[in-house]
Amino acid sequence: MSNTPLLEIEDLSARVKDKEIIKGFNLTINEGEVHAIMGPNGAGKSTLSYVLCGKSGYEVTSGHVRFKGKDLLSMSVEERAREGLFLIMQYPVEIPGVAVTTFLKHAVNAQRKYHNQPELDTMDFMKLLREEGRKLGISADMLKRPINVGFSGGEKKRLETLQLTILKPQFAILDEADSGLDIDALKVVSEGINAERNEHNAMLVITHYQRLLNDIVPDFVHVYADGHIVKSGGKELAAEIEKNGYAEFTKEK
Amino acid sequence: MGGLLQEVALAGDDIPWLEGQREKGRELFLAQGLPTAKTEAWKYTRPRDLMTEDFILTGTDEDESHEEEHCNYHQGECRCGHHHESQKALSFPSYEIRFENGIMQAIDFELPKGVTIKPLIEAIYEEDAVKSYLGKEIDMAHYPFAALNTAYMEEGVYIAVERDVSLTKPIAIINHTHACRQNLMAHLRNLIILERGAQATIIENFNYSGNEKSRYFNNIVNEIYIGRGACLRHYKLQDEAYKAVHIALSRVKVRENGFYESFCLQKGANLARNESKISLKEEQAEAFVNAAYMINGWATVDTTTDIEHLSAHSKSHQLVKGVVGGNAKGVFQGKIHIAPNAVKTEGSQLHKALLLSDEAEIDCKPELEIYADDVKCSHGAASGELDKEQLFYMRSRGIGEEEAKQILIDAYLTEVINTISNEDVKNWFSDSANINTGEEKC
Ligand SMILES: Nc1ncnc2c1ncn2[C@@H]1O[C@H](COP(=O)(O)OP(=O)(O)OP(=O)(O)O)[C@@H](O)[C@H]1O
Ligand SMILES: [Mg+2]
Repeated sequence: MSNTPLLEIEDLSARVKDKEIIKGFNLTINEGEVHAIMGPNGAGKSTLSYVLCGKSGYEVTSGHVRFKGKDLLSMSVEERAREGLFLIMQYPVEIPGVAVTTFLKHAVNAQRKYHNQPELDTMDFMKLLREEGRKLGISADMLKRPINVGFSGGEKKRLETLQLTILKPQFAILDEADSGLDIDALKVVSEGINAERNEHNAMLVITHYQRLLNDIVPDFVHVYADGHIVKSGGKELAAEIEKNGYAEFTKEK
Repeated sequence: MGGLLQEVALAGDDIPWLEGQREKGRELFLAQGLPTAKTEAWKYTRPRDLMTEDFILTGTDEDESHEEEHCNYHQGECRCGHHHESQKALSFPSYEIRFENGIMQAIDFELPKGVTIKPLIEAIYEEDAVKSYLGKEIDMAHYPFAALNTAYMEEGVYIAVERDVSLTKPIAIINHTHACRQNLMAHLRNLIILERGAQATIIENFNYSGNEKSRYFNNIVNEIYIGRGACLRHYKLQDEAYKAVHIALSRVKVRENGFYESFCLQKGANLARNESKISLKEEQAEAFVNAAYMINGWATVDTTTDIEHLSAHSKSHQLVKGVVGGNAKGVFQGKIHIAPNAVKTEGSQLHKALLLSDEAEIDCKPELEIYADDVKCSHGAASGELDKEQLFYMRSRGIGEEEAKQILIDAYLTEVINTISNEDVKNWFSDSANINTGEEKC
């Protein structure tokens, strides 16, 4: 395990258009850790994930983010991904005309190229994809379809999870990986995600429900309200929120 | 000696009717001149770069492109005028007809029974049918480049498929410009006749080797006759050099129950127009007229269609998709004319374009002339940009920005490439549809 934290967010503030959404956010995540973020709708959780991934339209007004000791905010979107950052999106994007397999092959090979590894053989890759897909209940038929087009909410989340298991990022942000999943799918998806956990990688799990955290057990739980973390604790904090809601954290509003 | 209209000796000058047509072509070209800003049919596509006096007709004494010392681009391996192994050849079996700098090369394959393929000038001497077809449907008074083409009528291919004969392999017409010498011009005239019940697939491929910046001018007229119940699939790839001018007209006549399917992908030239004028002459005649273009730099690339429904129950379908980057301009003009007696006809037309830069331009002019009742006719146009959310999604998985754009462009064009019913040809076009969205052409 490395001594450098995997991710250090320091006094981060960011806005969309003229609206300040992230305000003085601090968080440090080390290798091997799973952190959960819970917070009311509109608190800025998805905004935080997008800022970390480098999506345009989000303006960082102050602060620093270091990923493996490197300045994350100066990297392009694809560089961040190639360095090992991954986001399960709350609302995955539909891309008509681009098959899941084609898309993932481009992604895997782009990352391999960055790390000076040879491209994957197409046959091997297809095999891997079908195997991993099967574990997540994604049929070979679905892999041939255009990414996310016409996929149900749950199917989209499975596909996001499949990408995680194929790309094996060192740091994954799960933005409501559980939304839209039925009980059985929730199990399958969290098993898939848990299988990726090891001492060298880390995760930031954004969720509204304790249920996901029963399966993907976090080391830390943070309450995010009004643009920053207002309380941190262990997994018992999730149970507390499940019971009492966010009233006590947002009452100053 | 220079300019577009030159005094040159052409083969067949002993044939009065041929000379008569050429003379008419000269007259009508002179009467119209090159289209100007005021020429309605050319208002978006100004034939710039043709005003100069320095064109050299291919095959004449001044055309020295066949002489080895002029080929600096092939390290002494010049095979101008001979069979040239182009890397851009087709990836599947075909009857291959080659034009090198506008000159048809000897045919080196056995022809199936019932099929005639020969240089147009030979056909003029040998085939009785030619006289009754050649030039018959070309309205030279309104098509200045067709008039110019007729003035030089000599080079080109004659293809005739007899009654009920079906060709299994496509016929490929490879037009290769060996751009060793500047300012060549070629006027090609192809006559294609499918008799009743005949079936054929024809692929035109315009490509080049040598200096990509060399300037040349290809002016093509195809005259296509599709007999009763006959079926022609006509595909074209225009991949000319960056400074080339490419102007083509396909004049198509479809008889009862005849079927014409065409697809043209344009990705080269500085100035190009691919024009189709199609007459659905008799009942149940049907045409699919699809096209795509992907352009960059300073190119102007034009797709113009004019489909006449002259009889009841005729159908036409058009899907045209373009991708325009840099300072380039894409032009689509689509006309559907439905004659008073052409009841129960169907005509649909859709043009869509993707603009990759702020400087890229699209000009779209749909035109419907409907004189009959009880017809189904639709047209639509849309233009947009690459979807930022989709680009972000792809990049967030590690795909580079340029690669992501290319994937989206490919996906965009897939819809129209998928209209090609021949699998081999479809795959070949998918492979050909690849543009560099980063670097700009000059
Ligand atoms: N592009 C935008 N334009 C305007 N407002 C925006 C934009 N993006 C986000 N916001 C606003 O920023 C705030 C934070 O949104 P965000 O999606 O980050 O919330 P969230 O914590 O993920 O909420 P949820 O739990 O509902 O997913 C919201 O009030 C939202 O309306
Ligand atoms: Mg959210």
